[in-house]
Amino acid sequence: MSIDPETIKKERSAGWREALRAKTKNKDRIAIERVHMPELEPEIRVHHQDREVNRGLTLAQASLEASRCMDCVNPTCIEGCPVSINIPKFVKYIENGDILNAASTLKETNALPAVCGRVCPQEKQCESRCFYVEKLHKPSVAIGHLERFAADFERDSGNCNIPETLPPNGIKVATVGSGPAALSFAGDMVKYGYDVTVFEALHEIGGVLKYGIPEFRLPNAIVDFEIENLRKMGIKFVTNFIVGRTASFDDLKEEGFQGFFIGSGAGLPRFMEIPGENYNGILSSNEYLTRVNLMGANSDESDTPVLRGKNVAVIGGGNTAMDSVRTALRLGAEKATIIYRRSEVEMPARVEEVKHAKEEGVEFMTLCNPVEYFADKNGRVNRMRVVRMGLGEPDASGRRRPIVLEGSEFDLHVDLVIVAVGVSPNPLVPASLPGLKVSRWGTLIVDEDKMQTSLPEMFAGGDIVRGGATVILAMGDGRRAAEHMHAFLETERRGDEGTK
Amino acid sequence: MMNELYTKYMGLDLRSPLIAGSCNLTDNVANLKEIEKAGAGAVVLKSVFEEEIYLEYASELKKLGPMEDNLEFLDYYDVEIRQDNLKRYLDLIASAKAALHIPVIASINCVTSQEWSFFARKIEAAGADALELNLFILPSDLRQSSSDNENTYFEIIRRVTSQVTIPVSVKISPYFSNLGRMISDISASGIKGMVLFNRFYSPDIDIDQEIVKSAPKLSSPGDYRLPLRWIGMMASRVECDLAASTGIHDWETAVKLMLAGAKTVQLVSLLYKEGFKAISNFNTRIATWMETKQYASIDDFRGKLAMGPQVNPAEYERVQFMKTFSEYTR
Repeated sequence: MSIDPETIKKERSAGWREALRAKTKNKDRIAIERVHMPELEPEIRVHHQDREVNRGLTLAQASLEASRCMDCVNPTCIEGCPVSINIPKFVKYIENGDILNAASTLKETNALPAVCGRVCPQEKQCESRCFYVEKLHKPSVAIGHLERFAADFERDSGNCNIPETLPPNGIKVATVGSGPAALSFAGDMVKYGYDVTVFEALHEIGGVLKYGIPEFRLPNAIVDFEIENLRKMGIKFVTNFIVGRTASFDDLKEEGFQGFFIGSGAGLPRFMEIPGENYNGILSSNEYLTRVNLMGANSDESDTPVLRGKNVAVIGGGNTAMDSVRTALRLGAEKATIIYRRSEVEMPARVEEVKHAKEEGVEFMTLCNPVEYFADKNGRVNRMRVVRMGLGEPDASGRRRPIVLEGSEFDLHVDLVIVAVGVSPNPLVPASLPGLKVSRWGTLIVDEDKMQTSLPEMFAGGDIVRGGATVILAMGDGRRAAEHMHAFLETERRGDEGTK
Repeated sequence: MMNELYTKYMGLDLRSPLIAGSCNLTDNVANLKEIEKAGAGAVVLKSVFEEEIYLEYASELKKLGPMEDNLEFLDYYDVEIRQDNLKRYLDLIASAKAALHIPVIASINCVTSQEWSFFARKIEAAGADALELNLFILPSDLRQSSSDNENTYFEIIRRVTSQVTIPVSVKISPYFSNLGRMISDISASGIKGMVLFNRFYSPDIDIDQEIVKSAPKLSSPGDYRLPLRWIGMMASRVECDLAASTGIHDWETAVKLMLAGAKTVQLVSLLYKEGFKAISNFNTRIATWMETKQYASIDDFRGKLAMGPQVNPAEYERVQFMKTFSEYTR
């Protein structure tokens, strides 16, 4: 799935690229400071769930930032991208003022560029492999911001490039789920000429992009626009359809589906199983964010409003915890606190999310862990007991192991607690297919290169395989699965033709 | 008619004073059924060890691949593994209770105190008849003072006993500066039973390879003398039942320990060496001995040779020491 080095070399030697490189000396490129993404002021944005924090780069900013890229002979940034975006190519298109071609380049390998430009942890992926970081120890080219810029520009221009697809081959394939893994798979399969249907259990397409990520990070309108592009490519979407319940896999096979991509995600919340966790006012982050993001339960008109709190604690240190605590602020919390058992350095959340959270007034209690909850006479949580933690020797993960400091407990007043300590895979699909090999944790066991399950016509990716992963990793899975399902179905088809 | 081997331990009715102690043999229902069939009075399930859970976490991480990709998923992964282990243990308790008629005693190894007290409640809810706390606090942490170590024992006991209504016993080591006082104080802390003693890992050295290795894990026949001494000394000085553990390799040793004052004896190494049939053999031999001695019940002879409450153990020990070594004059 990676880009052929000869292709990279050939494209790099295109006349316009050479001219662009000659226009500005490398030392002048290096002298440019990395762009700062304009942001909505914290005191404004903290009152609005649906106002995006990052405002996007202007054309001038994007152009200047793109000129920092030195169009390396050996672009290691591409190796850092799970979907192998041709990064130097799209960045140089931006520098050259050809934004629409930049967007087309993104779409060669990325079905959801506007999404990835907003939610990818670029600092751990492409940007961490940038020449600036690896060799010069300076801030990388802002690849993520540029990706978002190109995708947004194309959308706003009204001239959206719809990637080309091969002629239909008449073979039906289906996805179970409509999150990033499934959409990425669908986007590649339709390009190969397949008749693709995306089945989604909920009433909205997008999976975690819609129910999990708040609008102040990823507006639903952006997701809908990307999905509409996929629809224009010929992908069909069916909502309110639970594969394994509304219809079985056998039913779908009888309807002619020959290949399945399982991208049903990991929507089962995990809790810490500590005393008092059953009290009212203690929610999983899944429930909290789904109610707000998908059900509009933060609205005054909602029939099933989400619980609000003045004094909110969120347990966890990942992006989901950041999303939850920042949502709580926007819903009127006077105090919103992250409680995390390791230190800030070990937090899995994107650096930008932590920065934004702090700017908005979120408090961080690190090296602390809840041990018990208490409630008022109505059963509503009103206090939590927290113990201080130390960090011991690195554990098997390489991170320092959190150790309880005995006798260090203290109490905090809270009236809402969101538990964001991770998720588990959706058990429905494995339960519907007894022949499917499943790990101890409920994740599907796949060939890691092909993403093929123990049932040859079933492929899988995203959280249902990984347990929990980023959007871009899920998309990478989808792409790999598409490549190998295509090879599998081609082999099957040739085999059938041979026997006729 | 009550069986002559009947005894009461921690308020539980046992048909025999022989208990299958906590070990790898007591971690599945098939074995537990065989143990019951062989005539054991109760079983202590394999202990849940915090360190074992950690090792499993390390092993699972290796299977998952690079941490960086899944950092958010893996951040509390150890908690999930722990919960999975604990759930399996609760399932074992429930299955054991459904399959057996004899009491089922759950066992947990406690390193930190606050994490286990809540789990104790779940153990009770799963149906365990009693809970044995294997207080495995090594006396080799140089950062802790003696009193810090000892205080941890009482803190653990306090937290756990406040959470459950089933009887709680503790299994302790002999490594205290005043073991007698410690046994006495622990017995008054609200527990119903005390098991003397647990076994720590023992190192040995291979002089050929010049490496440190593990000493044999099973007890030796002579190991019973330590619990014998302390049970004999403390049986009339404690507020709970005493159970003997380690070094019980023949039925005579079991009788000795009961004469010294033990309510029950726990068998582990013997079961590895001779299988579960050893329980049945012991029951038969003990019953025969009782008949010979005209004892109608265990209570008729239990504690008969315990040190009386009026004797000061320290003085008794000094006198015995002098007497014993004076016999070794040339």
